[in-house]
This record gives sequence, C-alpha cells and structure tokens, in this order.
Amino acid sequence: MIWKIVLFLLIAFVSIAGITFPIVAKPEHWYEFPLIMGLGENAKIIFFHVPTAWLTVIAFFMSTVYSIKYLRKKDLVDDIKAHTSAQLGMVFCILATITGAVWAKFAWGSYWSWDPRQTSIFALLLIYGALFALRSAVEVEEKRAALSAVYSIIAFITVPFFIFIMPRIMRGLHPGSADDTNAGTVVNFQMNGNMLLIFFLSLIGFTILYYWMWYVGYKSMLYKEKLNKQYH
Amino acid sequence: MSAYALFKKDLASELRTRYAINSLVMFIVVTISVILFSIGNEKISDFLSGGLFWVVIFFSAMSGLSRAFVSEEERGTTLTLQLIASPTTIFSGKLLFNLILVFAMNIVVALLYSALFDAFVIKNLSLFLYAFILGNVGIAIASTLIASIIAKASSKGTLYPVLSFPILLPLMLTLIDLTKQAMDTTTFSSSYVELAILGCYDVVMIAASFMLFDFIWKD
Amino acid sequence: MLEEFLSKNAIYIVMIIVLIVWAGVFGFLLVLNNRIKNIEKEIKGDTGK
Repeated sequence: MIWKIVLFLLIAFVSIAGITFPIVAKPEHWYEFPLIMGLGENAKIIFFHVPTAWLTVIAFFMSTVYSIKYLRKKDLVDDIKAHTSAQLGMVFCILATITGAVWAKFAWGSYWSWDPRQTSIFALLLIYGALFALRSAVEVEEKRAALSAVYSIIAFITVPFFIFIMPRIMRGLHPGSADDTNAGTVVNFQMNGNMLLIFFLSLIGFTILYYWMWYVGYKSMLYKEKLNKQYH
Repeated sequence: MSAYALFKKDLASELRTRYAINSLVMFIVVTISVILFSIGNEKISDFLSGGLFWVVIFFSAMSGLSRAFVSEEERGTTLTLQLIASPTTIFSGKLLFNLILVFAMNIVVALLYSALFDAFVIKNLSLFLYAFILGNVGIAIASTLIASIIAKASSKGTLYPVLSFPILLPLMLTLIDLTKQAMDTTTFSSSYVELAILGCYDVVMIAASFMLFDFIWKD
Repeated sequence: MLEEFLSKNAIYIVMIIVLIVWAGVFGFLLVLNNRIKNIEKEIKGDTGK
C-alpha cells in the first residue's frame, strides 16, 4: 500500500513541477528551469513524452523476455504476461506518438516529418500491430503463444538496426540528435540539476505505474482464463 | 533426408505446377506497369526510381515467397516431413529454394526495370551488386521464417505482408539508401557502414531463424 | 482574487486538470486492483472447499 501512495505523490509532484515551474534565462531558485535555446516553454514536454516512449521500449523488452521464458518452459502464464506487456506497450506507443506529433507541430512546424525517432516509433507501432494481428489469427492457445513468442523475438532483434540506420539516413530534428547545434548531445542536454531530478523522478514514477498496470492486467487475464476453463 | 533432397523435391513440384513462378512473373509485370501508368509522361527523379525499384521487389516477394510452407500444409505433407527430417534440414531446404526464387525474381525485376525506366541509372555497379546480393539473402531468410509462421497460423495470405514489413523495414531502408549512393557516386568509402549493416542483418537473421524454427515447426 | 490569478496564469489551470485526470486514473487502478484481489480470494476459497 505504501508504494501506491508514493507513486501517487511522485506523479502528482512531477505534474505540478513539470507544468508550473517557470523557465528563466538564469535559474537562481531551486524551482526554476534553465532556458534551452530553440525550445523555450516547449522543453517541458520532456517530463511526460519521454517517459511514455521509454515505457514503450520497456514494455516491448519485457514482452520479449517473457516470450523467451515461454519458449523455454511452455508455461501459458508467461504468454499471458508477455501479451499484457505488449498491450500496455501499444497504449504507451500511441500516447508517445500523439504527444510527440502535437509537440512537433509547435516546435518544428508540422505534425510529422520522418525524424529518425518518429520513424522508429512508427516501426514499433507496426510491430505491435502485426503481433496483435497474428494473435487474433490463431485459435489454439499453445500454438498462438509459440508463434507470437517467436515473432516478438524476431521483431526485437531488428530494433538495434533502427538505432544504427536511422541517423545515417535522415537528419535528426529531436533535441539531442547528433547534428543538433542548439541543445547539444543527449548526455548533456543543458538541463540543470533540478530539471534532471524531476525528469528521472518522472521516469521512475511512470515505470512503477507501468508495473502496476501490467500486474492488474495480467492477473485479470489469468483469472479470466481460469474461469473459462472451469465452466467449459 | 538431406536439405538438398528437399530442395530438389520442391524444385520438381514447382516446375510441374509453376504456381509460384507464374504468379511471381505476373505480379512483377502488374506492379511495374501500374507504376508506369501512374507516372505517365512525367519525369521522375533518379532517387524516386531507386526507391520504387525496392517497392516492386518487396511486393513481388510478398506474393510469391509465402508458398514455401503453406504448400506443405495444403497437401497435408507436414507430418511426413516432420517424421523424415530434422527441423534444421527442412529449414535449410526451404531457405535454399526461396534463395533461388528471390535471386531469379530480382534479376528479372532489375533487368526489366532498367530497360523501362530511363531515370534508373546505376553509376557504381559493383556497389549496387553487393547491396543487391546481401539484400536478396536477407529478404529470403526473413521471408522464409515468416512463411513458416504464416503456415502455422490459420489465415494464410493476408497476414504475410503485415508480419514481414516491420521485419524487413531496416533492410529495405538500408537498401534504398545504398541504391541512392550507387546512383550518386562511384566511390565506396562512404558506404562501408551500410554494407556492414546488411551483412549483420543477414547473419543475425539466419542465426535467429535456425534457433527459432524448432519452436514453430514442432506443435 | 483566485479567478484573477488563474486568468493571468493559465498554466495553473492546465496543472489542475492534469492533477484531476491523474487522480481519476489512480483511483480507477486502485478499484481494479481491489477487485482483482477479491476475485483472487474467491477463487482460492472455491478450490479450498
């Protein structure tokens, strides 16, 4: 119970701080954010958009881990865990795409411009979509679990390729891209201590939220399966 | 039963019915003529024609390569195959067949395409050739594995491009980029990384395919 | 007084809305969690009989 209260307070604090703390040229107080060239007030999206993108990747990774576990042990509970994680990943993937597109309209001038990271999140959307299409096509439980596990593993090993290919083919627009002269590289994104702290608090908060949602999701699916087996 | 024997069996049955070959040839003709109609008398840029080349190849591959395992399911010979050969042998045999099919198909596409499109001029032929060979190998491996998944899923045709596209996307993007470079310059020096990416993709995919095929094949 | 302050600093309205949404999502998750726990108890009770 304690960690639920902590989670509530954490995300409430991140929302308050992330939205209302003013951005000033030279931060003096603890509650002021530094001005990042070329971003201005738009910079605040980092507290909400980046965690959703981060969760998309984490959910995909967890789904693959449980897929491997399923193939090793053939336990259908692992398949349910992988599937719930993929569902959550899809939700956060859509959220990240939409928040990113809305932000891009105001920061870059158009909703979609095939920036490397936009392309890779699009690829992730396609992968999740294909995974669900495959699942809905197979009736037998064991077969469905094995096929979707294999597919999610193959899809996961293509992800590193996107990281190497995208920056070479397209110019990056995201803050922190290699050729970004305003904000510099990702590591030193000109965030000061308190901005970084709130950013990481947000990441932690969203990760706990993901874990909780995943737990509730897979338990409910597990009991549904159990009841189905009892009454049929 | 060896992989080569399985390949010969597939080749013999393919030469008898000519199902895959016929549908592939027709598909190539249809796709290229659709592109030609839609272009009309417009002049398209060189880079666009390079990208369209891989579009033709992707969709032709999607129409012909799914047959590999579906044909066994249709004829009801899956169980016999499971009895007489190990999964690795079966996958090698099917992969060999698809490799030949992909190479034959893509050579035809390349010849037709360069004859029909004036804008499609490759300056650096050897670079294009390396990309072409590595790309074809990658397409054959990925599509053979997806074909085996499709054969086990009950819906046969429609899912195939949906499942293949995300897997082939990194390969396609690199190939389109390499084709641009081959049309642009005659030097090699800037393209080593892309060729390395293609090579890595092929190696990773073939390793993953042989590891995962057991799980698909055995119900 | 409060209205004047809010109309000058619209960002606080955004904050209040986000907080309300978050409270809603959190409450919804809490209810779901408890429901799952109850079902868990019921199922375990059934098998014990």
